[in-house]
Amino acid sequence: MDSLDKQLSNRIAVKIGAMAKIWVDGVEYEVDEKKNLIDALKEKGVEIPHFCYHPKLSVVGMCRICLIEIEGVPKFQAACNTPIKDGMKINAFGEKIVKAREGVMEFLLINHPLDCPVCDKAGECRLQDYSFKLGHETTRYKEEKRNIPQEKIGTNLYINHNRCILCYRCVRFDREIVGVNDLEMLSRGNDTIIAYVPPETEKEKSPYLNHNYQGALADICPVGALLNESTLFRSRVWWYESKESHCHGCATLCRVTANLKNNAIYRYMPPQHPERDGYFICDYGRFSTHDFSQNRLYAYRRSGTKIRSQEALAQLAELLAQAKRIAVLGGGSESCTDVDALAELVGKLRDAGKTVQWDFRSNAQAFYSGNAQWDFLLSKDLRPNAAYLRQKNATDFADFTALEKELGQAELILVVGELSPPYAYQTGKIYAHVKGLKIPTSVEQTELYQALDTHNAWPKTVLLTTHADSAADKALLAIPIQSFVEKSGRFCDKEGNFKETTVLLRPVQGLRSSGEIWQSIPALEPVGVA
Amino acid sequence: MATIQVNKKYAFRWYEKFYFMSITAGLWVTLKHFIKSAFLRRMVTVQYPEQKKPLSSRFRGLHRLKRNEKGQERCTACYCCQWVCPADAIHIVAAEVPPERQYLHPEDKYAKVFQVDLLRCIYCGLCEEACPKGAIYLDGGLPLPADSRDALILNKEQMLEPTGGPIIGERL
Ligand code: SF4
Ligand code: SF4
Ligand code: SF4
Ligand code: SF4
Ligand code: FES
Repeated sequence: MDSLDKQLSNRIAVKIGAMAKIWVDGVEYEVDEKKNLIDALKEKGVEIPHFCYHPKLSVVGMCRICLIEIEGVPKFQAACNTPIKDGMKINAFGEKIVKAREGVMEFLLINHPLDCPVCDKAGECRLQDYSFKLGHETTRYKEEKRNIPQEKIGTNLYINHNRCILCYRCVRFDREIVGVNDLEMLSRGNDTIIAYVPPETEKEKSPYLNHNYQGALADICPVGALLNESTLFRSRVWWYESKESHCHGCATLCRVTANLKNNAIYRYMPPQHPERDGYFICDYGRFSTHDFSQNRLYAYRRSGTKIRSQEALAQLAELLAQAKRIAVLGGGSESCTDVDALAELVGKLRDAGKTVQWDFRSNAQAFYSGNAQWDFLLSKDLRPNAAYLRQKNATDFADFTALEKELGQAELILVVGELSPPYAYQTGKIYAHVKGLKIPTSVEQTELYQALDTHNAWPKTVLLTTHADSAADKALLAIPIQSFVEKSGRFCDKEGNFKETTVLLRPVQGLRSSGEIWQSIPALEPVGVA
Repeated sequence: MATIQVNKKYAFRWYEKFYFMSITAGLWVTLKHFIKSAFLRRMVTVQYPEQKKPLSSRFRGLHRLKRNEKGQERCTACYCCQWVCPADAIHIVAAEVPPERQYLHPEDKYAKVFQVDLLRCIYCGLCEEACPKGAIYLDGGLPLPADSRDALILNKEQMLEPTGGPIIGERL
């Protein structure tokens, strides 16, 4: 993984070279010599159409839509594959070159069904945009178009061969970014297709492509050839309201564009400014958002029966005042403000002479040692604010066994968001495939739940959670809190940068964040004194 | 404050002040129509719904879903009509075509549920205009009254033209 990281950072590292003067359609631009021509001109506001070129992938020059004419060069050149030279005179939008692009477009569309009404990519499809801008309204192709049925190639990935324009982006992405050699171009000429070929290094050959970046594959495919099963036919792209925020999935805190509809998150997409915020996001974060709007807990509960909030908070204050030995589990899914409030409470309790042990990790995996990354993006800290909790020293247990032992001994256990989806478990079909990571599909399967069961610790557990599951029924007190996407807040990523999230979903009125819960405990003051 | 001066050009004569002449003239029209319809059988009212008047070919009435030349459903659940509908009257659920229905659809996506709420629809015809497949037309004639609200939500079976001969989905 390290070598992968290095590879990637090498590629990402901005190469800065001398400035070169070039002329595009008679207009002079000063651009960086080391940059790719398409990128350099894009910065200046000149958009050269391209399909196969991607700033983070190697250049192959396969689609030929980026053709340009260079003065002194007899043939048209592919812009993506042309080094910038000082004094270069480019004809990018002249009559001749536009005609050439029209020709390329016609070739690309030979086998393309243009079935936009059926295609999930419609609305964000580059081919659709360009054929609107550059293409002909009619086709001269009279022969039968090839027709290969849609096929499932990944655990969450479909390929529609007819739509594929053979730009090779998917193959390059898997090889260069993900680091697996599992997609191939098979056959030749008119019969060429993209196919999944299990990598030779894999011991158990999986029938389907199964890495953690199948969503990203569908993103980088410039047409609707690669589509995710989890979103297939579920909606259309122009229906969403888009808001930028950060992913809830892990301590990497990738910037994402959330697609929202009917107060639910439909999916995460890469950010609006990928040059700054990163081009890719992983499946683990991307496809685990549906739980945020399902089966929510809105009422305070005492052993499964609904009670009023004042009663619950009063009881919580009493419990805190009486207990001598307290275990606080969690906080990693809460914003810095919330964590600060919790830290203050913990401090006060400690000042009052109580033994308080606080750890934000609640399953065996979270106590990892060594490599902190699952892959080049996904961190092993699967809580967005994990880094901040490390700063707050919320790491009192050596490992999960120590935590389990404490469950038996503590007089009061506070669980803060650690039994809520999508952190502790995820309902429905799991689309993230991270090798080595098992994601429970119900609260009963989580290690913490089982540990609480074995130690018979439910009657002394106060649960701050977002979901109305059986844990909320069993706990002595279940207190509803806002989820990650229902509040804005500051979070600290694994590199120590603070990032601000946005409110994505409207919270139910009166629902408090965990920080507000800590602040609104009526008898909090006497606790410190007692 | 300006006042408008109205010049009454016409002054009633003394016999006109009884309005007898005008009333007789008005009643004569009524009588004429009465005689026409009652004795000469030239009726002005139509005995709807037994009798129907011909509708204009551009008349926007009930929604119809069309089939293509092979008798397959044209609609592919692209949601364009639902998106454009200003009254929010269309409800579609798209799904992948199951193998046993394959012969009914030219594509691999179809409308599992397609409902039009006639109580919401304003018969604007935008859905017809938006459809890229020529699948929906408002050429089903006049909407009939119904005695429950549910009966006024058209489902796919009610709207689909019966299977059989090719139907050119274009308006005449
Ligand atoms: S599947 Fe998409 S990304 Fe891959 S070669 Fe075809 S068009 Fe390009
Ligand atoms: S790497 Fe982490 S933050 Fe980024 S998309 Fe995946 S889960 Fe979300
Ligand atoms: S006619 Fe207008 S209001 Fe009625 S369903 Fe079509 S788009 Fe909607
Ligand atoms: S009727 Fe036409 S516009 Fe409406 S979903 Fe079907 S194909 Fe699309
Ligand atoms: S973008 Fe240059 S050849 Fe495809």
